[in-house]
Amino acid sequence: MYIRQRAGKSMKHIGKYIHLWTKLTVNSFLVSLTSRLSAILFFIGKLLRFVFFGVFLIVLFSKTQGIADYTLMQGIFFFLTFNLIDTATQLFFREVYRFRQLVVSGDFDLVLIKPMNPLFRALVGGADPLDLLMLIPYVWALIFVGRRVGDITVTNATIYGLLLANGFIIATGFHILVLALAIVTTEIDHAIMIYRDVTSMGRLPIDIYREPLRSILTFVVPVGVMMTFPAKALFGFLSPGLIAMSLLVGGLFFLLSIRVWKYALTKYASASS
Amino acid sequence: MTYRLNFVLWRVRWVIQRLVVYFLWWAIFSQREELFGYTQSAMLTYILLSSIIGTIVLGTTTMSIGNMINTGELSNFLIRPLSFFRYFIARDVGDKLMNLAFSTVEVLLLFVLLRPPIIVPTNPLIWVWFVVAIAIGVVMYFLFSFLLGILGFWSADIWAPRFLSFVMMEFFAGGLFPLDILPTPLFALSQSLPFSYFLFFPLKVYLGQLNSAGAIQGLMIGLLWCIGLWCLMQTMWKKGLRVYTAEGR
Repeated sequence: MYIRQRAGKSMKHIGKYIHLWTKLTVNSFLVSLTSRLSAILFFIGKLLRFVFFGVFLIVLFSKTQGIADYTLMQGIFFFLTFNLIDTATQLFFREVYRFRQLVVSGDFDLVLIKPMNPLFRALVGGADPLDLLMLIPYVWALIFVGRRVGDITVTNATIYGLLLANGFIIATGFHILVLALAIVTTEIDHAIMIYRDVTSMGRLPIDIYREPLRSILTFVVPVGVMMTFPAKALFGFLSPGLIAMSLLVGGLFFLLSIRVWKYALTKYASASS
Repeated sequence: MTYRLNFVLWRVRWVIQRLVVYFLWWAIFSQREELFGYTQSAMLTYILLSSIIGTIVLGTTTMSIGNMINTGELSNFLIRPLSFFRYFIARDVGDKLMNLAFSTVEVLLLFVLLRPPIIVPTNPLIWVWFVVAIAIGVVMYFLFSFLLGILGFWSADIWAPRFLSFVMMEFFAGGLFPLDILPTPLFALSQSLPFSYFLFFPLKVYLGQLNSAGAIQGLMIGLLWCIGLWCLMQTMWKKGLRVYTAEGR
């Protein structure tokens, strides 16, 4: 009876947050689409950036006959996997880019007094519709290229999905850390962009980088675990030990980021309010 | 310096951006001596030097012009006995000097840490062409960025065209790779755009990969771009002032 009551409460809780997220997302989409021309130009820009780097990759792989023993198709698949994780992250966590203003103006007070988890509001309070649109060509291209990279087993495809989710969890952890930094220092304008610059090294498989950079990108800043490991698992190049380690890194990193966020909340000074 | 950590993070970001591109090419050259007609030292020189040139050419304060027009802040300048255009030139000089000072120290630090094989031209003429090419790049980008700001007279959406121009510039200026590695049609397209004069052309001059005729031809085209952009900017500025309503004031 008690367990059933708890389960019912949890479901109601989850339902409330899904409802909230839908409301916030619809509002964010409406704001983003206020200027259609602007939205179109941004979309074209994002698409061009994707195409341009794709062209560079094709030129590079064609001329070198493969890099670090990866074929052109595999190289493109790594790039697409990077884009999938990066874009999904931006789609959900766009609000992080606007968080500093909430902190320095003291408007974060208004978030704290609402009956909603402040991390939820700061993290997913403003989804980006353009990134949702960008996911369509990425997913299509992933399926198209995925069929041409070689024999893919159901097991490897499942592990790929699992590690994609793991990559998303690590990305979530990074965004939470940036939010925490904003509260503690009120200076994060470049922190989120540093995260994006560092993760951009995952556009290519991290195996191409020389040591000690490769190890740093695997164990210190887990860009490799986020971006490279899923595709490697799909190709069957990842050992069970590394798969387990990836999931452990993802879980621990996320828990660490939550702890840092909780600590940061205790340091919120409500400046300017 | 009010937000010191932000400033430090800005510089850290600048270094990381350079390192990302540097490590990419360093990794690619780990398996070969030459690629796309570039040796490892030529490519790494190109990449590292593009960082310094980028801070001189692409560092600008003109990005705020669009916002100044949209908020009506431009009115404060129009009533003052000073040229709006020259005001931004002065601001840009200061901004570029600051960027140059920091980036030079940071690149020197990278040189000490990474010890990359670097090419230094011994021909003084190359140095002269190189400095002139950078000067043309500075003027061109200033006018180009000013033009983007002026769009604020006609639209409140000033960031979307700028974002689009960033994306185009990222690819066609040659900051990530030398443009001549591209397939011929794409390379030809890049040469018909102004962006290649921001980074690629000065770097080709520096590496001594252009003969005197090629360098002079490039400088003349760059100069023509400057004149064209200047005329376009003057026309748009005058037309813009006619439609300016000081909205927000």
